[in-house]
Amino acid sequence: MTPTTSAVPILELRSITKSYGSVTACDAVDLRVDAGEIHGLLGENGAGKSSLMKVLLGLVRRDAGTVLVRGEEVALDSPQEAAELGIGMVHQHFSLINALTVWENVALGDTGKVNKQAICAGIAEVSARYGLPIDPEARVDALSAGERQRVEVVKCLRRNPQILILDEPTSVLTQAESQELFAVLGRVVQEEGRAVILISHKLAEIAQATDRVTVLRKGRVAFRAVTAETTPQLLARQMVGREVSLGDEGAALGLLPVQRAGADGGEARERQQPVLRLAGLTVVQGGVRVLDDIDLTVGAGEIVALYGVEGNGQAMLGDVLSGLVVPTDGTIEVAGSRVDVTRPGVLSKAGLGIVPEDRHHSGVVLDMSVAENLTMKSLNEVSGRFLVRRRAMLAQARRLADEFNIVTPSLDAPVRSLSGGNQQRVVLARELSGHTRVLVAAQPTHGLDVGAIEDMYARLRRAAAEGIGVLLISTELEEVMALATWIAVISSGQITGALPVSDATPERLGMLVGGEAA
Amino acid sequence: MSSVSLMNPDDLGRRFLARLRPGRDGWLTAGVTFALVIVALGASALLLTMNGASPSASLSAIWDGSLANSTGWTATLLNAAPLLLVAVGAAICASAGTFNIGQEGQVLIGGLFGAWVGLRLALPGPMMVVAVMAAAAVGGGLWAGLSALMYRFRGVNVVVSTLLMTFLAIQLVTFAVSSPWLQESAQGSSGIADAQSNPLPASALLADFGEYPSLLVNAGLFIALIAAAGAALVLSRSRWGFRVRMVGLNPLAAKHTGVRVSVLGGFTLALSGAFAGLAGGLLLASPVSPNRLQAGLSDNVGWDGLLVALVARNRPLIAIPVAFGFAVLRAGGDFLSATGVPYFLVDIVKALLVLAFVAPPVLVSLFRGRRGATPSTPSPQPVVPTKKMEAAA
Repeated sequence: MTPTTSAVPILELRSITKSYGSVTACDAVDLRVDAGEIHGLLGENGAGKSSLMKVLLGLVRRDAGTVLVRGEEVALDSPQEAAELGIGMVHQHFSLINALTVWENVALGDTGKVNKQAICAGIAEVSARYGLPIDPEARVDALSAGERQRVEVVKCLRRNPQILILDEPTSVLTQAESQELFAVLGRVVQEEGRAVILISHKLAEIAQATDRVTVLRKGRVAFRAVTAETTPQLLARQMVGREVSLGDEGAALGLLPVQRAGADGGEARERQQPVLRLAGLTVVQGGVRVLDDIDLTVGAGEIVALYGVEGNGQAMLGDVLSGLVVPTDGTIEVAGSRVDVTRPGVLSKAGLGIVPEDRHHSGVVLDMSVAENLTMKSLNEVSGRFLVRRRAMLAQARRLADEFNIVTPSLDAPVRSLSGGNQQRVVLARELSGHTRVLVAAQPTHGLDVGAIEDMYARLRRAAAEGIGVLLISTELEEVMALATWIAVISSGQITGALPVSDATPERLGMLVGGEAA
Repeated sequence: MSSVSLMNPDDLGRRFLARLRPGRDGWLTAGVTFALVIVALGASALLLTMNGASPSASLSAIWDGSLANSTGWTATLLNAAPLLLVAVGAAICASAGTFNIGQEGQVLIGGLFGAWVGLRLALPGPMMVVAVMAAAAVGGGLWAGLSALMYRFRGVNVVVSTLLMTFLAIQLVTFAVSSPWLQESAQGSSGIADAQSNPLPASALLADFGEYPSLLVNAGLFIALIAAAGAALVLSRSRWGFRVRMVGLNPLAAKHTGVRVSVLGGFTLALSGAFAGLAGGLLLASPVSPNRLQAGLSDNVGWDGLLVALVARNRPLIAIPVAFGFAVLRAGGDFLSATGVPYFLVDIVKALLVLAFVAPPVLVSLFRGRRGATPSTPSPQPVVPTKKMEAAA
């Protein structure tokens, strides 16, 4: 290898290939990251981003290819080796222990004697240098999502990584918080000659924060460019592999949609006959008001979005509307009549369908068949007095599977064997079957690829067009702006504001998300 | 957050049970099972040799006592019926995700209830045996139902409570047969033999079909077979069984679709106790026992029946041949111990064979996990508190 010069990239991956069984996650991927840059890694779910990073972190062994750090070839057989080489990663999901304090979490994984003073001093130093203020004595479960993200970054930076990998870091941050994070990172990287790899599927974020970008598609590098010389549309096309319109697809990819003309009349429309009304809905859990006096109305044929950063009570609202949690206080009205939520299953009997945030949690029974999952809410319709009539069950399942384009080897196959998009369609099909008046869709596009997201948007719109009231709970600004007619904003379990989409701007919504009145 | 309180009745047992469901690695599991059975048999032979018994002579003793002639077959079938009933009950509540391990006690309480009805009530003709069986089932059901209530109202772990209730049941039955409740009339307070009740009247006993010395089939076997077939039908085809399976596989989804998860879970627990109680009734009223209530009436039938369900992976129809296999070991083991081989060796052989049948799926999944072939285990969503927590902290 040539001796290290400034022209040698800090990290170079050559022809990295990794397969899991018959699936090739990375196929001869080349990636070059220079010191002092933020490098965007863009791709749909399943494009191979995570596998590539796992190789880089020593978590999985590559099948073929070489990794060079500062021009030197390295083996990368273990996470320890990656850490010694100065490769650190901030994961998408928090890896913090709630019951411990910040400094204890930061110290986790250190070897040798634990010296609290030294660790706290180290945290203070990192905090000051990078502008990431954090109290080392605070317990993690008392921190907001944004502060936790800060702890994760501090924890990683304290180990002084030369190459920092950030995996979708902004999913739990407000816009202001993510801008701050990127500003700090940009400064640090330039001043100290480090490198950051930013993994994202949000085009706007990549365009805003990165210097260069590599796009992965189906395990291969589809495109690489200097970010300033490209456009979000071009990146989108490379990521998906075909032309992308600025409407739904753009929103699915994290681009703000252009204002839709006409369709919704622009101005605040008259509210329709309410089909779902939440009044004073409050859930107190462990002394914490997880939901605090929620008032929300969804009219027939409307799509109302509940927008907010993850972890502000949306999950609890989903559990309440799924009939899993009985609210401490407040009332729920479906189609004009009040529902006694203490009895199981009454919400769905009253005509409320829900696509839950985590479909594996309460949406599907993975080990039961597609047919069983499709009919489990209407079991009485496909049963005799005692036995389930299998033929009726299969007939109804076949009808729903055809209507919702569910791709399955057979109706008797377990739902576990379906792809994420098809599992989501199973949930949607079941929840829209029968006499549904309200559909609650909580993060309905999480983890789906672009095609599946577009399909979901179309189905939500169609449901609304058929007169069903749709409540869309989402953390994606672009999704909310593309679909909703009204947008309510939730912050710390409270509704901080509600406005028609024609009045909504990213700035106003951003302030409401931060808990300020706009 | 909320999911913890919804996990009914206990998460640990559910995860354990999930491991026992038939996996996707069918052939690999079968191969590992075969290898482990060979290992278990080899270890058994070694143990027998070390204890001065000849493995081949022991094997032929087991054969002679169980399958070699009509007497052996009679003993085997008598042993099979209560084992099968216990296993069917265990399978039902395991399908609902509840892990009842207190069958031994539920069998005893079933025997106690059955004996009380048989000895204290004078019912005409065939009503008598029906009443004894019904009382036995009710007794076992109530005993398991206590555990269900303890879970429902105080959150007591079902595995722990059903287990501990077994020891309570043993004490209760011991007390009953040594107190005026049910003590044998001929026996004084200074009786040397183990305390026991009077024998049940003939009208309270289950009928035998066939004639000695040819094969005798006790009516209890038909009860057990009907129960197994019925349970298989109900679990796989009925609306109720659909809900039970849903609760077992995903209680949150079941609750979402309107199932009263805690009620159904508690009911299946009581039902499994009722099957164990009925097994106690069978033991009491068939020639497998001296037709008296004794503290030793259950004779490990509860534990063995639980093992049958484990090996059969909670499928009632599979439990039929498995129960038969266990009955062969029980009947043959009795015969073997009569030749001087200690009975505990038979128990060890049984335990080794059970391990050989139960362990493979777990081993296979461990093996798969170790190789990292499942890269996309979804990490649980982090619990992110609201700002309110800051204020509270």
